[in-house]
Amino acid sequence: MNRRPSGFFLSFFAMLGDAWREFLDAKILYLLLVLIGLLFGTALTGKIEPLPGGKSYLDLAARALAADLSGLDLAKENFADIAGRVTGSLYSISKAEPLGEDLPGGKWRVTLKRNAIPLLGKAESIGEIQERFGRIADGRLWIAEEVREEGLGTFAKAMGQQSWQMTVAPGPDLKLLWPNRFTLFAGSLELTPPKGAPLGLEVLILQKLLTTGLGGSILLLISVVVTAAFVPNMLRKGTLELLLVRPLPRWRVLVFKYIGSLLFVGALLGLLILSCWLVTGILADLWSPNILLAVPSLLLFFALLLSVSVFTGVLTRSATAAMLATVTYWVVLFIAGQMHNQVVESRLRSENAGKPRQVSVAESLRGNRGNRNPPPDPNRIPFHRSTVGRVAEGVYAVLPRTEDLDNLVDRQLMRDLAVAGPLRALVESGEFSWATGLGITGAHIGCFLLAACLIFSRRDP
Amino acid sequence: MVVTVENLEKHYGKLHALGGVSLRVEPGTLFGLLGQNGAGKTTLIKILLGLVAPTAGSATLLGAPVGTVAVRREVGYLPEDHRLPEYHTGPSLLHFYGALQGMPRRERLVRIPYLLELLGLKGREKLRVRGYSKGMKQRLGLAQALMHKPRVLFLDEPTDGVDPVGRRQIRELLLEEQRNGVTVFVNSHLLGEVEQLCDRVAILKKGLLVLQGTVAELTRSKGSWLVAFEQSPPEGTAWQGMRLEACDRPGLTRLHLEPNENQAIDTFLEQASSRAMRLRHLERERGTLEDLYLELADRGGAAQ
Repeated sequence: MNRRPSGFFLSFFAMLGDAWREFLDAKILYLLLVLIGLLFGTALTGKIEPLPGGKSYLDLAARALAADLSGLDLAKENFADIAGRVTGSLYSISKAEPLGEDLPGGKWRVTLKRNAIPLLGKAESIGEIQERFGRIADGRLWIAEEVREEGLGTFAKAMGQQSWQMTVAPGPDLKLLWPNRFTLFAGSLELTPPKGAPLGLEVLILQKLLTTGLGGSILLLISVVVTAAFVPNMLRKGTLELLLVRPLPRWRVLVFKYIGSLLFVGALLGLLILSCWLVTGILADLWSPNILLAVPSLLLFFALLLSVSVFTGVLTRSATAAMLATVTYWVVLFIAGQMHNQVVESRLRSENAGKPRQVSVAESLRGNRGNRNPPPDPNRIPFHRSTVGRVAEGVYAVLPRTEDLDNLVDRQLMRDLAVAGPLRALVESGEFSWATGLGITGAHIGCFLLAACLIFSRRDP
Repeated sequence: MVVTVENLEKHYGKLHALGGVSLRVEPGTLFGLLGQNGAGKTTLIKILLGLVAPTAGSATLLGAPVGTVAVRREVGYLPEDHRLPEYHTGPSLLHFYGALQGMPRRERLVRIPYLLELLGLKGREKLRVRGYSKGMKQRLGLAQALMHKPRVLFLDEPTDGVDPVGRRQIRELLLEEQRNGVTVFVNSHLLGEVEQLCDRVAILKKGLLVLQGTVAELTRSKGSWLVAFEQSPPEGTAWQGMRLEACDRPGLTRLHLEPNENQAIDTFLEQASSRAMRLRHLERERGTLEDLYLELADRGGAAQ
């Protein structure tokens, strides 16, 4: 009776092709592509350019030197005071000039002067200067490639005066922390304050807006709307029989359709994020590949939403019900994720209360103060110990960890782009892990699909 | 036997869609399944296709239990009121269903143009199904059922929405399939069509099989003929051993022949010839499936 092989792959690719045809048939998809095109077209009219060096560079260098000396209150000190207090000497940058290209890309020649207490201060060797000022922020900002002492005479030395010429190359993070102007529509719309904003931060905001933010959300929302009709359409009387009469198990029909839809959305997400990578690369000449991590993160999130849609579709045979259930589930996950972030922030605040606030290089460059974390308010219960906080954590414990995955992508991006601040502290906390995020989300997807397959396999058409 | 059904029952809660049906169908038969709406025809077919599980009884198709993967490879099905996915074109739809049946691409590439040509859909390859007329959708539905060269075909209202020329083409196609050894199950309300097409017929009523047999058996002679002469016989003409009476069909007269019909018709022809009466029409009057069907529909009981 059996004339043909089992045709597992034939049926898989057939269902895949069917899902893709159905997707392409949805006119709303073209609207989505136009929207994404507009978003990226607008971004491409933008220009990101560094502010000029000169005095700015000196400020930057001073701040960078100070930032390297952790534990100091930068708001109250100046560079010379800090350096002098630590070494018993006063150091100053007396001259700084570019050796060709301006910062943050080119090399500079810097003249460093030292004033120590006459007769008491011991002369410093080139090695000591190289060690002290050769690598600022672990060489991320400043690398002194060559240090040469200028002869000031024996008397001057005895009076505690020394001078060095340093050839300074920018470290890899200098470009990211350098203030840049970001304008749209050929410079007519200014998006940054007059002093500019660090390039890394600008790129982070742009990448998040286009991928895990607005761009990704629009794409996923439209994908949810389009795919919500897939299963109910398949279950219509007169269509379902034509599928179920084929020689393959029912669960396979459903799972193949699911995978087909998922791969299609995956391709769209890949296109979106690759375009974003290209746009930020072209605009800022930053080609950090970690943004591509947003593809699996967003795809896993969509896999979860699609499993809810398939389950509701099988249960109710209604596209509207599937769409509403999926969007509601999305909203619940979003609220739970935000509540969880609040809980983590509250816990971090409690743990760090009264301790000196760690000042990162990026923060110091942006002029943030290195003060202490405020002590806890005794009259107020911290959010993570409140009833609402505990309930939120209980709910979050059993829900898929899509917010974690988003935070993990952010963590990679912030590291790549040398972005710091409270959000960085949040995503750097040990609460988020890929294994937990993937495991719990994967388990939810499996449960929804399993339930859908069981109902689908047992119900009469 | 291609189909063996023993005491098949299907209950949906308190509703007994099938109340113990037994049926056997031999290979190569064109089998007509008749019955009013809700009689259980579609339920019976769905059980045979493995789409619905029976409540009681047993059914085999091609010697194997219904619904197995191996059996489904050999079956083609055209459901009533089918809804083909509208985002496909004709060829892409046939590729889709063909691949699900396990047909390799090279086979599909040969089979699809053949079927499109056969069913009069050639030249519309780029048109999506949503642009098809009802008759075109029906032809495409039939093409998908035939795509993988099944050994058994289940067709629910196969000529629904098709014009008379198309209906004749479909009838010829099914007869051709039968000649190739395919067993065809036809569900239809067009009784004249079933009568022209099918060898055997079964009639379901309220979930019970009330009648089955060959079309010839079920539409046997009523013992009367319809005749027409060039000129009407003179008033008071006596006919030996037979009776003539007026008929509702214009120009024809009903001739009752009893008791031996075959012998009596010869006698009638001899008498007409001896009286120089020129015969212009002679037709044996038979019962039709429609008569039988309506009679059963009106009647409460079964006539197995």
